[in-house]
Amino acid sequence: MQEELFNKIVNMDEEGSIKLAKEYLDRGGKPQELLEVCRRAMDAIGEKFEKGEYFLSELLLGGEIFKSIMEFVLPLLEESETTKLGTIVLGTVKDDIHSIGKDIFKAFAQAAGFEVIDLGVDVPEEKFVEAVREHKPDIVGMSCLITAGISSMKRTREALRASGLEDIKIIIGGGRVDESVKQFVGADAWSDDAARGVRICKELLGVEG
Amino acid sequence: MAKSPEELAKERLARIEAAINLQEPDKVPLWGVGGDIVAAYAGITQYEFCYDYDKAVKAIEKFMRDFPFDTSMAGLMGLEGRIFCVAFSEFPDISPALSLITGPMHDVLGDKYYRYPGRELDENATPQFLGGTFMEPDEYDELIEDPVGFVAGTILPRACTNLDTPRKAMATWVRLGMECSKFFSAAGEIGRVSAELGYPPFPMGWGYSPLDIIGDFLRGVGTVVLDIYRYPDKVKKAAEALTEPITNYALYHKYMGARYAMIPLHLNEYLSPKLYNEFYWPYLKTVILKLYEEGIKPLVFFEGHHDAHLDTILELPEGWGIAYFEKTDVVKAKKVLQGHSCVMGGIPMGLLVGGTPMKIEEYIKNLLEEVKPGGGFILAPGVGTAPSETPVENMHALIEAVEKYGYY
Ligand code: B12
Repeated sequence: MQEELFNKIVNMDEEGSIKLAKEYLDRGGKPQELLEVCRRAMDAIGEKFEKGEYFLSELLLGGEIFKSIMEFVLPLLEESETTKLGTIVLGTVKDDIHSIGKDIFKAFAQAAGFEVIDLGVDVPEEKFVEAVREHKPDIVGMSCLITAGISSMKRTREALRASGLEDIKIIIGGGRVDESVKQFVGADAWSDDAARGVRICKELLGVEG
Repeated sequence: MAKSPEELAKERLARIEAAINLQEPDKVPLWGVGGDIVAAYAGITQYEFCYDYDKAVKAIEKFMRDFPFDTSMAGLMGLEGRIFCVAFSEFPDISPALSLITGPMHDVLGDKYYRYPGRELDENATPQFLGGTFMEPDEYDELIEDPVGFVAGTILPRACTNLDTPRKAMATWVRLGMECSKFFSAAGEIGRVSAELGYPPFPMGWGYSPLDIIGDFLRGVGTVVLDIYRYPDKVKKAAEALTEPITNYALYHKYMGARYAMIPLHLNEYLSPKLYNEFYWPYLKTVILKLYEEGIKPLVFFEGHHDAHLDTILELPEGWGIAYFEKTDVVKAKKVLQGHSCVMGGIPMGLLVGGTPMKIEEYIKNLLEEVKPGGGFILAPGVGTAPSETPVENMHALIEAVEKYGYY
């Protein structure tokens, strides 16, 4: 049944996979194992995307399926049962309202085992600083789709520095980032691909990717 | 020896037209930059730029004067208004006029699609198109049945607070008309100034891709992608139903003298080739071909990565128009489309914002070496909107680099 569920998710059968996941629990299956299957499936989807076999449409639907299943699985899991790789504070930067890419990255990061604190879109510097103080994450992820967001990222980087939060790792993503933007912002890494972004986050924490 | 504005305009137009006609011009044409930088460079706020047309026209003039690209992309600020164009698609004189919704028009409409500086946003923020979900999945049938009626009668009253009762709507449409006429008189002023500065007339209309109407204005961009999996037949029929009003809207620009039509695409990057070829391309292709048949050359802006769909462009007739790329590698695109489509793009905005004059010169030199041979290429920023803090010296460096390495 696990294999069947895995295939249904990877093959984008939304209705079928949600139904099967529910059946699995009804028949006494462990939520922890269900989570594992979903994670593996998301990994496989990400891999296919990186290879060019899958496109954003599949990432989007994959993220949606994962979210739907997690809605009924997560409440069943004890805190201790979920292995947590680390925490990411994530947001689309000030003046930018694009959310789709950020949400896809979030789904994939969660599937990989990160806890993600999502600050939403058009997030001002102060809100990032506040959230970092409160949640003490390992990584700050900034999503940026418009050129005006490039300086928002730089300002956020500086605000974190000015608040003594120098050591936090910063990864930037979204359509407007590349190596030169990374350098301009002073970030630690960049990715315009959710699957690779998750891999880089693992590397930043020294977890095998 | 300084050239007269007329000579300059003639030279620039010949340069651009040669590229569009797949020939080698005297020099690689350099498409203009616009965006927040235009207001910032003139020292006015984005709010002033959006709401005070006198100040905006002066800012645009200053920018055009100081940054002599081959075309001017510094224009009045407005955001995608295509849903209104669909609603008015039975009226050739009105439909094209609503292609862009400016700040003052946004105030009149009280819509939920846009946010403007000095209103919902800080005075120095970029205007925002939010889009959103204004239609439920069970309404696809109504959309399919009567797309124009559904948009005009059901969607617009939902999306615009000042259209939510028929009485409010009466006043709103009259006010909107008055705003349009102010906008067009300012636009006319820009036309006059451009000619004085030696910019060629480049009469450009608009088009849109039918499925993008559903994504941008009806269901939301992410939601329509999920709809494709959930209700494939309905989405397809809805895109098909929207094709006629969109085509009519696009063709009306002919009466305004348009010879080109800009079609910005949104969902192309999201879709796998299978979905693209089934839900997106057939309807877009219809719009493109209709325009082409009527003597209007489309300038299609393939946003994001279009790599997976490059070959489909070859289905269009040779010399159909201009393929403008954002993140697709133009070197690769040019190889695929050589002798078939004029290719445009090549300058990453990140480089213009974060690079240095030296880096820019080097980049342009290398790029032109690859894409110049054979002509049919227009050099342009991957996105035409430069942010406020774009270093002025970088824009000059770009123009100088093309002067240095752009000649054939
Ligand atoms: C969809 C879209 C919209 C939707 C957004 C819907 C939403 N809720 O997100 C709507 C229609 C509302 C919209 C509005 C606007 N948009 Co828009 N939009 C796009 C479009 C077509 C696609 C963006 C997208 O979602 N891509 C798909 C996602 C999945 O990709 P992605 O974000 O890169 O994410 C991937 C990776 O980067 C990564 N990732 C994302 N975030 C993160 C974060 C981290 C930490 C990591 C590691 C990875 C990661 O994971 C994702 C999956 O692999 C682009 C053009 C394009 N194709 O890029 C324009 C584009 C981004 N928009 C643009 C503009 C200008 C606007 C507007 C200002 C107005 C307008 N002219 O339409 C407004 C308002 C924007 C604002 N102020 O924020 C410009 C930006 C230009 C610029 N250089 O500034 C673009 C490039 C279009 C263009 N060429 O002109 N837009």
